[in-house]
Amino acid sequence: MKYFARKIGLLLFALFVAVTLNFFIPRMMPGDPASDLIDKMQGVPPEALESIKVAFGINTEDPIINQYGKYLLNILKGDFGISLSRFPTPVSDVLKVAIPWTLGLIGLSTIISFLIGTVIGIGCAWNRNKSAATFTVGFFIFIRSFPYFWLGLLFIYLFAFKMPVLPIGGSYSPYIPKEGLDYFISVIKHAILPASTIIISSMGAWILTMRNNMINVLAEDYITVALAKGLPLKRIKGLYAAKNAMLPSITGFAMSLGFVVGGGLLTEMVFGYPGVGLMLFQAIQAKDYALMQAIFLFISAAVLIANFIADVAIMLLDPRVRDGGK
Amino acid sequence: MLGDVFKLFIENKKAALGLCILLFFITVAILAPVIAPYDPKANKIETIEVIETERGRNITVERENSDEFNEKRIYSQTVTTTYEKNTKKFPLNSPPTSEHFFGTAHSGQDLFSQVIWGTRITLMVGLVTGLFTTILALTLALVSGYFGGIVDDIISLFTNVFLVIPSLPLMIVIAAYITVKGVFPIVLILALTSWPWPTRLLRSQVVSLKNRDFIRVSKSLGEKHSYIIFREMLPNMISLVMASFFQSTMGAIMGEATLEFIGLGNVSIVSWGTVLYWAQTNGALLSGAWWWFLPPGICIALIGTSFALMNFAIDEISNPKLRKR
Amino acid sequence: MNDKRILNVSNLVAGYEIKKGFVKAVDEVSFTLDKGEFLGIAGESGCGKSTLAYGLMKLLKDNAVIKSGSINFNGQDIQAYSNEQMNQIRWVDMSMVFQSAMNALNPVLTIGEQLTDGIFAHKDVSKEEAKNRALEVLKLVDISADRFDAYPHQLSGGMKQRVMIAMGLILQPDLIIMDEPTTALDVVVQRTIIEKIQDLRKKFGFSVIFITHDLSLLVEISDKLAIMYAGKIIEYGNANEVFLHSLHPYTKGLMNSFPSLTGPIKRMGGIEGKPPDLLNPPKGCRFAPRCDKSLDICFKEYPETYSKSENHWVDCHLYNKDGNSNG
Repeated sequence: MKYFARKIGLLLFALFVAVTLNFFIPRMMPGDPASDLIDKMQGVPPEALESIKVAFGINTEDPIINQYGKYLLNILKGDFGISLSRFPTPVSDVLKVAIPWTLGLIGLSTIISFLIGTVIGIGCAWNRNKSAATFTVGFFIFIRSFPYFWLGLLFIYLFAFKMPVLPIGGSYSPYIPKEGLDYFISVIKHAILPASTIIISSMGAWILTMRNNMINVLAEDYITVALAKGLPLKRIKGLYAAKNAMLPSITGFAMSLGFVVGGGLLTEMVFGYPGVGLMLFQAIQAKDYALMQAIFLFISAAVLIANFIADVAIMLLDPRVRDGGK
Repeated sequence: MLGDVFKLFIENKKAALGLCILLFFITVAILAPVIAPYDPKANKIETIEVIETERGRNITVERENSDEFNEKRIYSQTVTTTYEKNTKKFPLNSPPTSEHFFGTAHSGQDLFSQVIWGTRITLMVGLVTGLFTTILALTLALVSGYFGGIVDDIISLFTNVFLVIPSLPLMIVIAAYITVKGVFPIVLILALTSWPWPTRLLRSQVVSLKNRDFIRVSKSLGEKHSYIIFREMLPNMISLVMASFFQSTMGAIMGEATLEFIGLGNVSIVSWGTVLYWAQTNGALLSGAWWWFLPPGICIALIGTSFALMNFAIDEISNPKLRKR
Repeated sequence: MNDKRILNVSNLVAGYEIKKGFVKAVDEVSFTLDKGEFLGIAGESGCGKSTLAYGLMKLLKDNAVIKSGSINFNGQDIQAYSNEQMNQIRWVDMSMVFQSAMNALNPVLTIGEQLTDGIFAHKDVSKEEAKNRALEVLKLVDISADRFDAYPHQLSGGMKQRVMIAMGLILQPDLIIMDEPTTALDVVVQRTIIEKIQDLRKKFGFSVIFITHDLSLLVEISDKLAIMYAGKIIEYGNANEVFLHSLHPYTKGLMNSFPSLTGPIKRMGGIEGKPPDLLNPPKGCRFAPRCDKSLDICFKEYPETYSKSENHWVDCHLYNKDGNSNG
């Protein structure tokens, strides 16, 4: 239980740090982006200007502590201010529309990638000396070195431009009414390329991690004992080898979630997929700081929570952690 | 000990290949002024040749006699120069030709030169950031792991927290606010968002080394801390530090390309990332200009692969179980 | 093959394939084992005893192989057996007790699961029957039944070793190979384990091959002793014979290197030097460089086996075939 309590504590503290960073970053940056922005906004309605000022904390007589307090309160209320680029829509509304697309695309792709990658990794370790294993490993090392967004561009070029099999971007066809089977199919069709980009780019990491873990585990003595006992190969591969090799894999998964999500965001940008990533991109272009900050918070929170779930998974799988905590 | 590791490294085929690729790019970067056929930002070549210079007559403009011995005159003379100016404009948006190996950009710049010159910035940012991050991580890891106690608790807490805060969004948020343009802010942002991972990795090794017998012996012999850290621990951590350096460098190269691509970097410099940025903003993809975005991506991948190969080799050297028999 | 004999190893060669050649960890080793007999194999680190143990169960993997020779177990030539065939006899007829210092227990399974899966692999029984059998063997090694659902990290070193022994017994095999089962345990626990093994042997009558570097453990409990050096068995015989009338200088050196509890205090001797390189072993007797009684011929030729009696032989030039002492 100590482990569990520690992990919850870490989650809450990290959330707190993310929220605080969010508050202080605009106030700490060199180069005075605020005035910069205000100068550029000549014909902007005064409320918009207000929201910028609030976001930057300038021209307020309130001491920093008060501002911070108000900020925290607003967050708890779900009020992230007004979006500049989509004035006068509140930021929270923008997020509400975008989040489901992101969760669907990035969430599912990450899980699929992890599962497939782990299975392939186990295979590569078990059949270490076969050339297929070496080739697979080499191939994915190469693929992994391409920037995520570049692979997305390549896919678009190949499959949407050269051979117009799949749509170029967006998450669904605007010509189809938003319900029913046709809509569903359209959604799937639009998701194939971005999902494939994420899956193929990130799979390599899981393959390599699992392969290395398996190789280490297969050299352990309890594997020799299992062989001496004449246990069926399936049991040795699974409960003796894979179950032990999974543990550091899951830890690794949790730690690289942030990176994978980042890659997913880029993919959204490239494909024009209307999720949180695309919103972020557009927010940057439009210097919509309120929206940017809210997205940062959302992404951080999502990753932190996913991390926590992974920690809980380890607790359930590894009896040593249950008892002592690592 | 270092010599042995180095020797093993060179002998390993993967490492040798990786090293060759890296050295190739470093050479390209150093020799950029020599190898690149054109100025990366130019979209035309102008040559100016003087044909004729004609001098007109000398006209006296002013004359002054101050006294019978001194005279001052001011002359004026016109000179007419006839030039021949040859302007050769590069083709716009052209696929690869013998004159432009990688084709040209939207407004005619030679992409081959851009990629060659881009190697400099990309490699420099990557290596400098990698170095900076690794040194920072190593320092924190040593202080935290070796001295333990409350210092360790604090550093570890922050490392763990920053580890889980996703780096790309953080990078984006910071970069969006920085209006000071230049390469240095990019390096700083990249380093500030990528220090946690290697710190944690190196710290684990410091802690496990600290509890090994040979360190305990040194301690009980009363050796100075600096001696133990620099002469006993560090040599045993070389392979991990090298691996971290490669990872950090690769991460920095990717990060720089990403930031530039989104438009958050400094788009006036020439790096592989900016080439991709301009490709994207000019709709290269949809106009079928594959030559624009293909080479930078492949180059990044090649460097990434070279680091991965060298990393693989280091893994095999430090963990014999992974070696091929 | 008389029906008291359960194991006959003949000219076994096993070792490791490396780039530079083949390391002969087990070089033409021969010995026999009868039903219910206790054979102790002693030798220093690197002499090949573990390779021998793993080789007998055909557990050598990766670049470790059996090159030649025969292993005849219960009338079958098992060195030619396939993995499937070996799996039929593994644990059922021949089992192994591993060092507890090794990571021999799977950290993510309870010891109950690890005990019973050995049963399920070979016998078609109900879960309850398997559990009962597991509890039986746990009782035999004095581990309380409530540890059935415990995980390995919750047990002490001594307990883990006893679990390994219980695991080895669970299908009542004819032969149990024990590889350094008491190393890394303190002397009191060592004693308990050895006594327990004696106890169980009396009860169930299985044969034991006990491998160790600690000769002092073996002299009381073994029926037969084999002394291994650099891949070869250099002396072999009844435990008492070998102990009281050691022939080989190496054996004598080993016997001299642990003090007896009774008797006069004498100066301990060690054996200087270190064992030879098994990749390119020397032509003559392998112990010659360290032997204080070496002759010229010891460096040139490997000694022929001299049998002092039916149950005591030695490979040493000090004794030629006719029993005449050369030195």
